[in-house]
Amino acid sequence: MNLYLPIAEMPVNILVFLGMGGAVGFLSGMFGVGGGFLMTPLLIFSGIPPAVAIGTEAAQIVASSVSGAIAQYQRRNVDIKMGIVLLVGGIIGSAFGVQIVKELRQLGQFELFVSLAYVVFLGIIGSLMMVESLNTMRKARAGAAVSAHRPGQHSWIHGLPLKMRFHRSKLYISAIPVLALGAIVGFLGAIMGVGGGFIIVPAMIYLLRVPTNVVVGTSLFQILFVTEATTIMHAVQNYTVDIVLALLLMIGGVIGAQFGAVAGEKLKGEQLRFLLAGLVLLVCLRVAWNLVVMPSELYSLSSVVGGH
Amino acid sequence: MAGTGQFRQKFRQRFADANSSIRKIKREDLRSVMTGRNAAFALGAAIVVIVIWVFNVGGGEDPTTAALRKTGASSPSAIMKEMKETQAPAEHSALDTPAEVIEKEKAERRSVAESDRTVQNPLFNESVEVDISTRSVAITSAFSGQRIVVFGAVHNSLQATAGQGLYDVIIVLEGLKSKLVSRRKSNVAGLWINTQSVEFESVPSYYTLSSTRPIAGISTPRVFDQHGIGFNHIRIEPAAKDPKRLPPEELKSFRDGIIRLKAKEGLYQRKPAGVEFIGRSLFRTSIDLPANVPIGKVVARTYLFRDAELIAENTAAVQLKREGLEALMYSFAFDYPLYYGVFAVAMAVSAGLAASAVFSRGSH
Repeated sequence: MNLYLPIAEMPVNILVFLGMGGAVGFLSGMFGVGGGFLMTPLLIFSGIPPAVAIGTEAAQIVASSVSGAIAQYQRRNVDIKMGIVLLVGGIIGSAFGVQIVKELRQLGQFELFVSLAYVVFLGIIGSLMMVESLNTMRKARAGAAVSAHRPGQHSWIHGLPLKMRFHRSKLYISAIPVLALGAIVGFLGAIMGVGGGFIIVPAMIYLLRVPTNVVVGTSLFQILFVTEATTIMHAVQNYTVDIVLALLLMIGGVIGAQFGAVAGEKLKGEQLRFLLAGLVLLVCLRVAWNLVVMPSELYSLSSVVGGH
Repeated sequence: MAGTGQFRQKFRQRFADANSSIRKIKREDLRSVMTGRNAAFALGAAIVVIVIWVFNVGGGEDPTTAALRKTGASSPSAIMKEMKETQAPAEHSALDTPAEVIEKEKAERRSVAESDRTVQNPLFNESVEVDISTRSVAITSAFSGQRIVVFGAVHNSLQATAGQGLYDVIIVLEGLKSKLVSRRKSNVAGLWINTQSVEFESVPSYYTLSSTRPIAGISTPRVFDQHGIGFNHIRIEPAAKDPKRLPPEELKSFRDGIIRLKAKEGLYQRKPAGVEFIGRSLFRTSIDLPANVPIGKVVARTYLFRDAELIAENTAAVQLKREGLEALMYSFAFDYPLYYGVFAVAMAVSAGLAASAVFSRGSH
């Protein structure tokens, strides 16, 4: 059951990639994350050119976040105003990221850059999440009430100028950190092939102090539109979106996600976070391993970019 | 660790529970299976699959080599071995070899040739004609490689039988040439990163060498160099504008790297006994174009040798073309990238919406 991919220019086994989409979709549905951080390395490890993996994954994230975003919107959990500010930042960051991808491909340092970004971000987020979930679990076992605390009161972030009122989030803060957060997430999305939920959600909760119920909806709103823009930009700038591959991953992904969501309801929040942290750290280690261990093949080939 | 025993007991209990609930499952809706402890089980299984996948991809046996062996082509490592064995002296290429040395070599080969067969016509008025079983190969979504047959005939053949072995034929199947950058990793502060790169001019995207016997016995390196026959002799030169002048041995390791990588992808192949004579003058070879063969024109250059002397050559070509949906998508992506991107997004949005519509109907 092979299918020839038009952009990646290689035949792939349909069942393997449907299965990959399904497995990652299951996990992402269960943990409520986009799954890009799992799917992109998997695609690269299975021989898809890194640039194609990232461009295509952006399209898949659109598919996996669209239904969630609409559901959240209907539940009035989206702060449209904040979403738009995030989005403006996101598109700027994404455009910059797509350009960086182009430059780095020419220099031959693209894979290194992606790997380092993965190791750094997954390492930090995974460790933080692991510690936090272990603490919560320990407290829960000790019998103490687990409080969903909103730490601190005001930080330097609240002293910045250009203040805006975000009604749905019940916040009156500067637009600068919101814009910057959007830009960082958009940039990472473009270079790492991820939606960026694992960065934007904690940042909105802990840095901007957006109420938790609004965070999920608003971040989904931002991720949906930024990945849409990223997909189009990758298609235009780098010609690296493979719709056949994207379709395979989407089919597997959306089905897997439905089962994952049902499974996720059966687990406690801190257990989910613990498992997710383990998974994140595992992917981080795998990427780091490739950087540190002497590769069996020191040489690599690439066509001269821009010479299409 | 006071909790260990308790944990173990709990784990056993859970395992037993899961086991009994698995036995209770009937062939109902999959959704109803995904409840309770089975969900945790499925989660465990999914994680195990991911872990195995993450740590195993890239390892294990090499499918390309296995596929090559099936078609009668030699493995990538055999190509590297042959290259090493038949290498010209490192100091100078065979093109720089003094004429008298070459003549001596030729004379030696000729005397070997003459000792086991009689040369009837020293004027070599043979010529060769060649064609390919198909003029074009369609690359469609279902493309998984294709076998082509290159066949030809020797005019004025002096062979009495197919098995006499008076002639040697080498068929070089070559894809489009393009610029290529070869990069080498080295260890910088504990990380393996690309540090050196060489840009090569006109590297064949595909190259298969099929011959009546290993080419080292057929003619001299000088002839091979002139015509780019054999892996030691393909013209792979660094781009003229490349300012870095690498020492020859460095350059050679980059060049060997290209051949090794291409061979591993199955794009450079060698069939040392691939060409067979069917009659006094008719010969053929069958070649399996791999599924990842680069799209474009593939040229079959055919060389006829007698007594180590190249006496005739001819070419035929086959065109590899994207066809059907494959061609449509490719030109869509490259000619209208903006619309292509918008289309990809629209497809993603509708896939997401369709899935949630289908599944939410089931749950409410």
